[in-house]
Amino acid sequence: MAPDRPPQPPVSAGAVAAVPTPPLAGRLKGMLALLIVGAIVVLAYRQTSFDLEALFTGAADFWRFFGRLVPPFSEVGSDWGAYLPELVGPLIETLQIAYVGTFFGTLLAMPLIFLASANTANDPVTMWIARTLLTVLRSIPDLLWAAILVPILVVGPLPGALALTLFSIGILAKLGSETVESADPGPLEALRAAGAGRTATIVYAVVPQVAATMVSYILYVFEINVRASVIIGLVGAGGIGFTLQTRLNFFDYTGVGLIIVVIFAVVLIIDSISVWARSKLI
Amino acid sequence: MSHIEFRDVEVTYKTGLKALKGINLTIPRGQFLVVVGLSGAGKSTLIRTVNNLVVPSAGNVLVDDVDVTAARGRKLRQVRSDIGMIFQTFNLVKRSGVLRNVLAGRLGDVPAWRGVLGAFPREDIAYAHECLGRVGIPEKAFVRADALSGGQQQRVGIARALAQKPSVMLADEPVASLDPPTSHSVMSDLKRIAREDGITTIVNLHFIDMAREYADRIVGMRDGLVVFDGTPNEATDKAFEDIYGRPIDREKDMRGA
Amino acid sequence: MSDQSHARPLQIPRPPASQVRNRYALLGGAGLSVVLLVVVLITMNLPTWDRVMLGLRRTLPPLWRGFTNPDFELFPLAFNAMMETFYMAVIGTLLGGVLAFALSFLAARNLLGGTARAMPGKALLVAVRTFPEILLAIIFVAAAGPGPTAGIMAMGIHSIGFLGKIFSDVIEGIDPGPLEAINAAGGNQIQVFFFAVVPQVLPEFASNLLYRFEINLRAATILGLVGAGGIGGPLLQRLSFRRWDEISMILIVIIGFIIVVDAISSRVRRQLV
Repeated sequence: MAPDRPPQPPVSAGAVAAVPTPPLAGRLKGMLALLIVGAIVVLAYRQTSFDLEALFTGAADFWRFFGRLVPPFSEVGSDWGAYLPELVGPLIETLQIAYVGTFFGTLLAMPLIFLASANTANDPVTMWIARTLLTVLRSIPDLLWAAILVPILVVGPLPGALALTLFSIGILAKLGSETVESADPGPLEALRAAGAGRTATIVYAVVPQVAATMVSYILYVFEINVRASVIIGLVGAGGIGFTLQTRLNFFDYTGVGLIIVVIFAVVLIIDSISVWARSKLI
Repeated sequence: MSHIEFRDVEVTYKTGLKALKGINLTIPRGQFLVVVGLSGAGKSTLIRTVNNLVVPSAGNVLVDDVDVTAARGRKLRQVRSDIGMIFQTFNLVKRSGVLRNVLAGRLGDVPAWRGVLGAFPREDIAYAHECLGRVGIPEKAFVRADALSGGQQQRVGIARALAQKPSVMLADEPVASLDPPTSHSVMSDLKRIAREDGITTIVNLHFIDMAREYADRIVGMRDGLVVFDGTPNEATDKAFEDIYGRPIDREKDMRGA
Repeated sequence: MSDQSHARPLQIPRPPASQVRNRYALLGGAGLSVVLLVVVLITMNLPTWDRVMLGLRRTLPPLWRGFTNPDFELFPLAFNAMMETFYMAVIGTLLGGVLAFALSFLAARNLLGGTARAMPGKALLVAVRTFPEILLAIIFVAAAGPGPTAGIMAMGIHSIGFLGKIFSDVIEGIDPGPLEAINAAGGNQIQVFFFAVVPQVLPEFASNLLYRFEINLRAATILGLVGAGGIGGPLLQRLSFRRWDEISMILIVIIGFIIVVDAISSRVRRQLV
């Protein structure tokens, strides 16, 4: 303690007693929330019989398995080099699925965005219907859409493209309507006051405000779709995932290893391009 | 001849707030009417009942003997396209070009498909340029709206309203976001154009000196009621103190020219 | 054009060349994307129209019958499977959160004192995020056998990428004022951490952890498709036998569960931030 400090007034017992305590309700609420979360975690830990210990003891097996994914160094050329050209076709199909899914997803999401946004909606009923539709579309993951559509449509890229279309509508319309709802309401009021029709009001007052953000979202959805399109083949919806499934069934682990490397590379490349393009947009 | 008529207009908002408590006004064609009052007095609500942006809970507003209050859908849009409106915050689409903003004023009169595709008739495009010329910024047509100063943006707002070829002009605190010299030049432009085209104009203003300088007639509002209605000469400092319900603050309420 | 313009040619100022160019570039881009679509559709290995119609005629009637009559007897099984999915998502998110928490400090520029030092951490996070979790699940299933543990591991590791990025962004965005204040008051580094850093980042961390949980719950429903536990397993079985009445029951449980959890979670998140 500094010696030249001015003398402090002594803290009396009375002053301590006068300290106000935070409201009880707030503290109880916080404690209750922690308790609930804690209980859920403990329950989850037991129910899933998740075993951290076994994970550490099994780690050796795990790394050994990783080793099997890669051919011996001397054979990389003959094994992976020979297999690589076979992957070009499925890879192109993968990107085709992602493109078609993004394209139609965008096209179908556009009207839904304006129907589901409070400031551009026709009437409360259609808005509610549009929002419910979007919520259902979003609650089903892409791979699940593919798994459901494969038995209905023919095995191949068609159910894949449709699955990604449906999934894209859900995300894009959600992101889009958030953007539309945060648009400056001034121009909307101005155009309404000028007697413009509903569509014209949207085109003139809202679209210019949200266009750049929307393009960025479309690119983002394309990224997601590329990631999804590499795996939907696992359930028979075309693309490189289908090849992966075949290799897995044949226990061809070096093949699996190569496919994983290729998928990783493609996703990384598309991601980087898209991230770069998005940074240019805004 | 009456152009705009308020008949016992009342507005109660969903929050329970009574913004207008029975307004009766008759505005002859070509009059430049200034509405004064403190914020919250009901000026903005009053002006918005004229083009039905705010729907009265009782009473009617008549423009050219057409009941605006009852108009819906296409009919309402027809009525609105005849009424230009200018806003305190300009309400331009900032990321669009100036010309496109002005052309937006034509949307009420062109077929829907033309508006959506931006395929305006040549006459309309020429007229939009003409409007920009009349507010003194013809050279800004192809500049983005957010690149303009506040005064220029409000001029675009006036040009947009003018592009509607309106018979009525509503201006809701048109100069409240501008500095004093710019305010005066925008107000005198507005007055000049209203005079030239014989447009009936209702302007909400906060500042006393401007109301006196530009108005043909001044209406004072307090608490949702008209408490003063007279010529600028009759609008003495005493009258304003009654409208505001407090002594005039030279600094805040006057705004020197 | 009307005949009026014929009689009186109008003088309309032309937009500057750069704007005309931009407009053409925009139109060109839109046209190009449509052309690309046509090319893709032609070259894609799509089945013929007849083939699709044949398939639809065969599957739609039983599908309609199944979806209009969900098999409610399957509800207990579906619900239990969904609970397992839920628990997997809880542990997976928590695992990801703990790992990401540790890593995020290694990717935060302001705590490491330099962009270069944060680079390896950031690169690692990007790499992890890029790797689809279903591939991780396949690897874990193949290595450790089928079951929820494989799914949890996949989710946990994949979540590191997302959470680590957001956590480190949050840490980089904290207000340095309180740190300085605690330092100035003579606090040591541990005190600075607990009194200046943690209070600032905790709500954001918790909110994003919850958001990631919403994502992971969706992901967990599909991990079962590769044998990594959860409701995806029983669903896949029934999909391969096209038991539409049972499939519809499972889908109802999934959609209902996710909508309810989303609603609760987003409400809690609003309270947090």
